[in-house]
Amino acid sequence: MVADVVLEARGLVKDYRRARAVDGVDLVVHAGERVSLLGPNGAGKTTTLLMILGVVAPDEGSVAICGLDLQRHRSRAAERVGFAAGYLPLTERMRVREYLRLYGQLYGIADPDPLIDDGLLRFRIADLAGAMGTELSSGQRTLIGIVRASLHRPRLLVLDEPTASLDPDVAQRVRAGLLDLCRRDGTALLMTSHDMSDVVEVCERVVFLSHGRIVADGDPESVASAYGRGDLAGVFLHLAERHELSGTQQSDHP
Amino acid sequence: MTLTSSKPNPTTTRGKSWLRMRAIARRHAYVLVRSPHRLFDVSLWPLVDVLLFGSLAAFVGTTGATPAAKASGYLLAGIVLWHVIYQSQIAMSTGLLEETWTRNLLNLMVTPIREVEYLGGVAMFGMVKLVIGVGVMVIGALAFFSFDTWSLGFGLVPIVAILLVVGWSISLFVMGLVLRFGTGAEALAWGVMFVLLPLSGVFYPTDALPALLQPVALALPTTHAFTALRSLVDHNGSDWAQLAIAAVGSFVMLALSMWFLVAMLRTFRKRGYITRYT
Repeated sequence: MVADVVLEARGLVKDYRRARAVDGVDLVVHAGERVSLLGPNGAGKTTTLLMILGVVAPDEGSVAICGLDLQRHRSRAAERVGFAAGYLPLTERMRVREYLRLYGQLYGIADPDPLIDDGLLRFRIADLAGAMGTELSSGQRTLIGIVRASLHRPRLLVLDEPTASLDPDVAQRVRAGLLDLCRRDGTALLMTSHDMSDVVEVCERVVFLSHGRIVADGDPESVASAYGRGDLAGVFLHLAERHELSGTQQSDHP
Repeated sequence: MTLTSSKPNPTTTRGKSWLRMRAIARRHAYVLVRSPHRLFDVSLWPLVDVLLFGSLAAFVGTTGATPAAKASGYLLAGIVLWHVIYQSQIAMSTGLLEETWTRNLLNLMVTPIREVEYLGGVAMFGMVKLVIGVGVMVIGALAFFSFDTWSLGFGLVPIVAILLVVGWSISLFVMGLVLRFGTGAEALAWGVMFVLLPLSGVFYPTDALPALLQPVALALPTTHAFTALRSLVDHNGSDWAQLAIAAVGSFVMLALSMWFLVAMLRTFRKRGYITRYT
């Protein structure tokens, strides 16, 4: 059903000067679906995400968010997407509530305060509302970033390395909050991670990229068994080894 | 966990644009208020400029000769009006630079904000800085040198409007360069003003410039705006011919810089330059 599709990326290609970063990626994500985009460093994950977010223009292919073509309706499409990355800082010289209010208003919410309270409560960080961004730990900043990204109840939440360098307890809080968000609001999730416990616990579908191409797509168990590995970490290591041997003719497919 | 059933409150498209522009303006207001050293841009430095040029004007004026008396008016009126370009240009350019310095560009670019809304927001905030900065100069000129800028009358309004458009145009050009070449191009945000200042005849008629540079000066809308300003200082009323040339020139400049910025933004997206700021 077309209305159920929140992300439809077709034939995405992106060339940088030295190499092809993304090579014909097709990706469809449905409402409420939780998808992990996996692959070794340089596989094309972040470039794919940036094209889905409309920040990098694809050389070929198209992206539609909830049926809205990203090239022609970037602003309306962006209203339906939230994005956070573990490596991005908070806007400086603002308190957490001011920061969240800023982004709520950028998403067109006239009075974001009730949604801010909901979001802070969801990730159990209501006590941080009055803190300055510079007073927060990296884990707290990541949590605030995810609250910001989900404030406007997006149809699609895109997260790049959401639990990178987090303590296990904070990472667990992130995972629990994301699951609650997706189940309660029907938000679709597309995330990258190098932490396979994130993937297994949060995502029902994994998409492996290697050399800019999708080499596996399915539920974690079936992808692992297709590669003859016991778990996703085994698949990851297998692809990483192949990636390092990129000059050879070895296939990335199972 | 107790969550309310809050839903994002819908807003009209026009309402959203206004909301986003105010949000951007407020974001930069926080930066200004919470970085006391940045308040110097709209308080101390304008005051230093008015003291410097006012003192020079006072010294020149003591010779008693008519040209010298004229020059003192040119100096004070010139420096006050120059700050219209300077403040509007710097406020907008540093608006974008602030996002690059703090690696906030990606956070912003994934939101629904349109380029024109972002520019509207930083321009709104720039207007506040402009009013404060130029206000300090007007008061300083009156308090220290008895130079009443308001005595120049309503003829100032079109000149200020033209200089504002020129300031915005330069900032759009600088933003385009920053998007294309990275923060290495930020020196231009300040440097371009030091090129424009002598060429525009801010303090003197452009026939005082070397002959080689005079055609360049005449091609600048600022030259004609400051010529019109000197007409006011000389009590000759508004020089509509010069104002018309300046107005046409400033809008051509605005159109060209907007085209340049859009082209550079397209290149920025095409080449994936966002990765410079992540």
